[in-house]
Amino acid sequence: MTDPLVRVDGLEKYYYENDTLLDRLTGAEPEAVRAVDGVSFEVREGETLGVVGESGCGKSTLAETLMRLREPTGGSVTFDGDPVYDLSGDDLDAFRRRAQVMFQDPFSSLDPRMTAGEIITEPLAIHDVGTVAERRERAETLLEEVGLSADQIDRYPHEFSGGQRQRIGFARALAIDPEFIVLDEPVSALDVSVQAQVLNLLADMQAERDLTYLFIAHDLSVVRHISDRVAVMYLGEVVEIGPTEEIFESPQHPYTKALLESVPRADTDERDRVVETIRGDVPSPRNPPSGCSFRTRCPELIQPPGLDVPQATFREISDFRTRIENGDIDVDLRWEQVGDANREDRAAFVDSLREEAFDEPLPDADEETVREAIRALADGDRETAAATLRERYRSPCEAVEPALPAGDHPDACLLNEQPDDVEAAREEWEAEHDASGVGTPSQ
Amino acid sequence: MISPRTLRNLRSELSRSLLAKLGIAILAVILFIALFAPLLAPHDPTEQDLDNTNIPPLGFTATENQTTSEMVDGEVKIVEKQVVVNTTAEHPLGTDSLGRDVLSRTMFGARTSLLVGLFGTAIAVVLGVTVGITAGYYGGRIDDALMRFADVMLAFPSLVLAIALIGLWGQASLRLPDPLVASGIASQTMPESIVLPGTVIAVVALVNWVWFARVARGEALSVRDQEYVKAARSMGGSDLHVILKHVLPNSLTPILVLATIQIAAIILLESSLSFLGFSGAQLSWGFDIAQGRQYLSSSWWIATVPGLAIVAAVVGINLIGDWLRDALDPGIEGQGGAS
Repeated sequence: MTDPLVRVDGLEKYYYENDTLLDRLTGAEPEAVRAVDGVSFEVREGETLGVVGESGCGKSTLAETLMRLREPTGGSVTFDGDPVYDLSGDDLDAFRRRAQVMFQDPFSSLDPRMTAGEIITEPLAIHDVGTVAERRERAETLLEEVGLSADQIDRYPHEFSGGQRQRIGFARALAIDPEFIVLDEPVSALDVSVQAQVLNLLADMQAERDLTYLFIAHDLSVVRHISDRVAVMYLGEVVEIGPTEEIFESPQHPYTKALLESVPRADTDERDRVVETIRGDVPSPRNPPSGCSFRTRCPELIQPPGLDVPQATFREISDFRTRIENGDIDVDLRWEQVGDANREDRAAFVDSLREEAFDEPLPDADEETVREAIRALADGDRETAAATLRERYRSPCEAVEPALPAGDHPDACLLNEQPDDVEAAREEWEAEHDASGVGTPSQ
Repeated sequence: MISPRTLRNLRSELSRSLLAKLGIAILAVILFIALFAPLLAPHDPTEQDLDNTNIPPLGFTATENQTTSEMVDGEVKIVEKQVVVNTTAEHPLGTDSLGRDVLSRTMFGARTSLLVGLFGTAIAVVLGVTVGITAGYYGGRIDDALMRFADVMLAFPSLVLAIALIGLWGQASLRLPDPLVASGIASQTMPESIVLPGTVIAVVALVNWVWFARVARGEALSVRDQEYVKAARSMGGSDLHVILKHVLPNSLTPILVLATIQIAAIILLESSLSFLGFSGAQLSWGFDIAQGRQYLSSSWWIATVPGLAIVAAVVGINLIGDWLRDALDPGIEGQGGAS
């Protein structure tokens, strides 16, 4: 296999809050928002790598950082052997010619005060390619190639429809004969029928001009249609990457599975299928979960050694614990609901909260542990309540951070094959945790 | 830079709005008068005629106390008489206390006001937009530094600041030969030069640029995050390219609207400075009002005529500003009340 055209290695992009003048003066610690948190992948020459993920998982930040529109916090990007963030002068200029971006928004991606011709020839003007007449001729050719007509060259963006605008945006990206184009959700703002046309155009041009694409989208069917390989992103990290068919036919990471599950399917057998959506919201990238970032929503959360409760129960217990740890349970409000102003009837408090938090039946030992935690909570001792649950229900997923192993279709989940250092860390943790005597809830 | 759509909006708004037409008509008349003042004015505005002072405008009468000495019975007596001053077609809007023709003075005064208004605004726009776009585009500490400085400028009352600057720099002005007089088209008795009050122009620009900086900064902030700006940068466009090709053109509409309103504000400021005697202009609406102020009880027209001219100019320009605002950007709120 030849060297990849683009290699992304441990790319990080953090945004800092609390970084105003006043904060600097008062010495407040800037708070990092980890938009892209250690992403590594390769894009091979001539292929399309799809990047999917929910809104806010850092896809667009990844695209912009990759293109050096934003300075990275850490990591590196190599383009055809050259480190992108170290380029300057002529080398940077060359990179800016060879790699282009096409943006999502058909309205804001074209300057409303420029004509279609001016927009398409802008990269040529910037790099001083050809005469004005030659550029105009080129723009006319490109307009035809992307399915518009050459006599629309003097029209303004507002005279075009959304699909036509995206075609102009694509023509602009093609103008300077790039090798690599980052497509940042190029069809997500378009109607479905127009989406297909634009996707076909992208595919045709790729075949014709030997282009390499990084295709970012949140729509799985779109990604499946156009990609050779797919990377799944969650909370600023790539959790699984592999050939498109393998990802769709045999997803490995629980997040990928859940993502695919949540897509409605056009099949009569599927009519009565209950669409399993992923529970909960994406955690804030300001304070991502420890260990595996998907563990707060994962339906396959790993139980600590020695524990064996039904998976749904374990999920509920873990969610309850998270609520306590985050202080999301309003003890005062609960007491009010119990109707005990003097806060003496602790049993009623415990029953009330127990019923509210759990749908699943709890095995006896677990029932006792949960009630013990709630009793501590009733006394206003959040720390003890959390510690009680943490001691018994601490999952390896929160202690050990999974990573992407090498290979063609790796995924970052402790359930699956992991790099040696991750496996070692997990074994060490489990040995330690076993020794602390799990299984006998302390009274 | 002006798209067909913009032109269409301007036209349709113009046909809908009577006030816009009125504003254009008023400004057109004032511009015409200012340009061709030497041809239109009946008299040299600086020519004094002490035999014909304080003549009222046509259609009005005025009486004047005259003190004369008369020989009565071989004795010299001081006699006070009330004399009716006759109006004359030669001075349709009357004369001032030195017998200068009020109509001619008002016509020539339009030149000063418009010169200061246009040049002052132009300099303020260039200065303010440069600072504002730099601050908005780069953001961060550059933004902090520039805009805090602008805020400090805003904290001074503009008239006080203007007077202080004039006190600091003196009243330099430039005399340009009037082409109409020099080429012999206009009567050689007219003033042979146009006075360009340099200090006043600089001062009104320095007092008013802050408004443009604030608006330009806001626009640059919003344009900066548009995807076409990202696209231009990803193509390798330099900051200068992005600012000149994208940020500036897309920020201009509200600046244009603000500029028309600021012209009016600057004309008022110039008049205030002339009225207070700080501008050094001898032929200006504000100066004439100051001259006429002490005669207000007896010869009201000396101050009133240039005063009405100021009102007309300011109203006309503001009407045009409203028209531009409505036509170009229905979303923008009035920026009036500036300075």
